[in-house]
Amino acid sequence: MRFSLLVVLASLALGTLPHCMRITDGIEVDVAYQPEATPAQIRTDMGYRVALDRALIVVGRVELIRCDDLLTGLWELVAPASAKAHVLDTPTSLGVPLVIDLMESAGTPEYAGTLKPPPGRYCGMRVLGMPADSDAAGLTGENLEMMQWSVMVTGRVFDTMSGEEVPLEARIWEVFDCEMRFERPLVFDRPDLERVSIRIDHPKWFDGIDFALQSSDAVQQQLTENIRSSLEAVLSDGDNRL
Amino acid sequence: MIAALVGPFWVASGASACGTCSVGDPTLTVIGFEQPKAHRVRTSAALRHRNDSIGETNLDRLTLSEQRMELAGAYSPTDRLSFSLMMPLVHRLITEVNLAEANVWAPGDLDFRVRGVVWRDRKFAPRHLVSLITGLEFPTSTIEYGEDGLPLPLEFQAGTGSWDPIAGSSYTMFMDPWSLYVSSIAIFPTTGIADTRASTSFRQTVLGQYQPWSFLAFQVGVEFRIDGPGYISGIRDPNTGGHITYGTLGIVGLPHEKVMLHVTAALPMVQRLDGTHREGFSFTAGLVYEI
Repeated sequence: MRFSLLVVLASLALGTLPHCMRITDGIEVDVAYQPEATPAQIRTDMGYRVALDRALIVVGRVELIRCDDLLTGLWELVAPASAKAHVLDTPTSLGVPLVIDLMESAGTPEYAGTLKPPPGRYCGMRVLGMPADSDAAGLTGENLEMMQWSVMVTGRVFDTMSGEEVPLEARIWEVFDCEMRFERPLVFDRPDLERVSIRIDHPKWFDGIDFALQSSDAVQQQLTENIRSSLEAVLSDGDNRL
Repeated sequence: MIAALVGPFWVASGASACGTCSVGDPTLTVIGFEQPKAHRVRTSAALRHRNDSIGETNLDRLTLSEQRMELAGAYSPTDRLSFSLMMPLVHRLITEVNLAEANVWAPGDLDFRVRGVVWRDRKFAPRHLVSLITGLEFPTSTIEYGEDGLPLPLEFQAGTGSWDPIAGSSYTMFMDPWSLYVSSIAIFPTTGIADTRASTSFRQTVLGQYQPWSFLAFQVGVEFRIDGPGYISGIRDPNTGGHITYGTLGIVGLPHEKVMLHVTAALPMVQRLDGTHREGFSFTAGLVYEI
């Protein structure tokens, strides 16, 4: 009888119990783009000086690469890059395109999002440059043309030898990807917070280009290569959120 | 931390709910499958453990480990009728693909059932019993909300928060020291928390019992469950529906004429669940006290 009373009382008590929920964060990787500050004039390794009026890049997707995905990564390097605007976010990728104005960013980080990857070893990141879609972050009335271009650069080039000045206009419409290696693998086996900055060293975009001799196609091609090599993924322990 | 901290992180999860996932009939031990005894009152306490996972590995997988403490009472006003009430306290540990965890403690949905014997071969010590079962799950579970003020998905809830009618029938055969229990139960959930309608579920139980001694019995059985699709805001949840068959093994002990102890383990034998949904081992232990 005592047991029954106990059960009845406990049942009634269960219905009145306050509920509670406790959340523990898991593995998280904050990702931000960090463009270098744009100098008034960029001096290239070929002796030219470049003064930029506009410089914009659209990053469509960023993803973590597992260390054991080397073969996949190699295949994706040789296979043509493809673009899917607003691909859904996954635990290892962010799919929302972001328009970055390199003239306005002035060295400040632009938060891209937080990845929530499963445990594993991650050796790098892959970034996809592609034209923006209509609801890309950072798309404004002033840069609507970035719906057609992955990268757009305008300005002037000064030939320091001849003193000649020519206009600079480069627009890349193609989708390109860039794979970056971390200086050390990110190893996750328990909940942790890491921070990755993707540095964009756009003052180096014009190195190796001989504006006086190269055709506009060749300039464009070299520029694309330079953009790829100007991206660098830098790790820092995530004591603070970006 | 409180529910408000959950935030859109959890809501963004692609995997979703299984509101009716469970094994067997939770009120079977308190009502019993024998002929009701007029004016008999029984109470019981049971602990249940189960786990399942929903979603794709390394993509949107959620693993769920659930423990329930169920307190129940049953009363038989006549030798043909039994009523039972069962109230669960639910603990859920939900683990995301990135090892983020949510620990939920909350009261679940109150379960009310009526079992009526509609046919028996004889009044005294019947060998064959046919019963009808009906019932209702009440939306007594609390609702967990995200920081946006919207209810979280069903994984984070201790119950469906809906009025769920229950209907079924059972047959029992006694051939001492053997007995056989067969029941068919259907649950028809209505729309509940987070505009979710859990799957309509049909469960078939076949349980054989061998009682070589008065104080000990062994049970072996099969639990079959087939679920219809579940819906979230009118859209089908791809990880709901399908069927699963468990094999069960149990021991029932009677240390005292008024006390029954029971332990049952259930292992999925056949899983044909839709989407990417896997259920795991289930375990139940409990005590029934008869007044």
